[in-house]
Amino acid sequence: MALSEGIAKLGSVFLAASAQTGGAAVLLCSVAKRLVPPRFDREELRRCLLSMGYQSLGIILATAFVVGIILVLQAYVFIDRYGLRSQLGWGAGFVTIRELGPVLFALMFSGRVGAYTAAELGTMQVTDQVDGLRCLAIDPISYLVVPRVLAMIVSLVCLTIIGNTMALLSASLVGDVLLEVEQHTFWGALLERLTPWDYLTSVLKAGLFGGIIAVTSCYYGLSTSGGAPGVGRSVNASVVASAVAIFVVDFFSTFVAG
Amino acid sequence: MVRIENASLSFDGVEALRGVSLHVPRGVLLGLMGPLGCGKTTLCRVACGLESLDTGQVLFDGVDITTVGPAERRRAYRRCGMQFQNDALFEHKSVLENVGYPLERLTEQSAAEIRGRAMERIAMVGLFGTENRLPNELSGGQRRRVAVARACVTDPELLLCDDPTAGLDPVTSRRILDMIAGIRYQARNTVVVISSDVLGLMSVSEQIGLLWDGKLVAHGGPAALWQDSQPKVRRFLDDAQLPLGGGF
Repeated sequence: MALSEGIAKLGSVFLAASAQTGGAAVLLCSVAKRLVPPRFDREELRRCLLSMGYQSLGIILATAFVVGIILVLQAYVFIDRYGLRSQLGWGAGFVTIRELGPVLFALMFSGRVGAYTAAELGTMQVTDQVDGLRCLAIDPISYLVVPRVLAMIVSLVCLTIIGNTMALLSASLVGDVLLEVEQHTFWGALLERLTPWDYLTSVLKAGLFGGIIAVTSCYYGLSTSGGAPGVGRSVNASVVASAVAIFVVDFFSTFVAG
Repeated sequence: MVRIENASLSFDGVEALRGVSLHVPRGVLLGLMGPLGCGKTTLCRVACGLESLDTGQVLFDGVDITTVGPAERRRAYRRCGMQFQNDALFEHKSVLENVGYPLERLTEQSAAEIRGRAMERIAMVGLFGTENRLPNELSGGQRRRVAVARACVTDPELLLCDDPTAGLDPVTSRRILDMIAGIRYQARNTVVVISSDVLGLMSVSEQIGLLWDGKLVAHGGPAALWQDSQPKVRRFLDDAQLPLGGGF
């Protein structure tokens, strides 16, 4: 009995996860359909870029600054023990640009922008504002979802580039002060050993994560039901699903891209 | 104008509409009433194409909007204005922007024309002076008025008002119903109003539809409804505690 109940529970969890993944995939197809030819609200895109990208700059810069410092503080012992000071720039750059930067900034972005989007669309859904748009012959996907998806992808790519730069700047400063690794040694090692593919991987990952956060938050927002508690559930589900998806995609992309 | 034929619709196994057939002629103000959860809002949403039926048809001037493509359906939307049960105001837009928004999206009018038209509607619903406020700075009654003003700003051929009097005191409730009747008188459009203010609704409507458990149990003039001897109609009117005699 307990076994069958366990299997039934597992089955229902699998079915729910499949339904949600399928729903998000359908939404993604709907977005893609409206991109060729472009059919979306440009004013809403401008508003989203401002609120999602520009206004997230502060939190990303602060995170990046601390990440750079922590990176050097953690590496300090080993760098010192094995006499690898000349490679600090390469180490910090590789870890930040290839892995830590895109994932960490995506998680911060998901917490700030993804959660806000799920709450905003969820509230619009439960207060009939989405139906209000339909009644005005406005397609909610073109008006609400496409601008948010584009804005999140563009914003996260830009924020990741800026954040990576800030993290490396703070790492080079702390390296200079604590380990006496001169600036030109740090940047020389970084620029010499990192390849264009490393930078491209960072940008591709950021774009991918931006798309994941956008589609997940819009999907959960638009499928909200059950009033204010429903909005809370949507925000929660959106943040958790985005984080899980980011880690899964990061694993596979690292596996594929090396 | 609008003809709903044999409309049935279920949500998660719960039947919201069960074979409802209703004809709303052009220029008529139809009051829809019935107990809570009887399918009034669903019927309104079906009438303007927001819900797809399990079976049945919604004919808008003879065209079945349940079977047409998205473009034709959007054209049908443009001919409808709907005031939603919980207002559905855009919270980041001011009263003026909310009311002017349908004109901005659906017409080619200039900004000055849109502003003029929106201000006219705002004044019509008695909210002159509140045009720069945000919806969260308004009372419940004022929000309803803004929602009605927005729904009718384009002079839609079919205006659907989903419980514009919900949660309001009797005086405000009656004022809003009178205001809707006034809008209909001016614009000469077809109006469907849902309200729990039975007496108020019967006093402004030319036709009344009574829904009960997803079925249309009565449809006709207010006086005819008052004379109706069906047990469900009698029970509903008794529960509504109308004054003896009714006056219709």
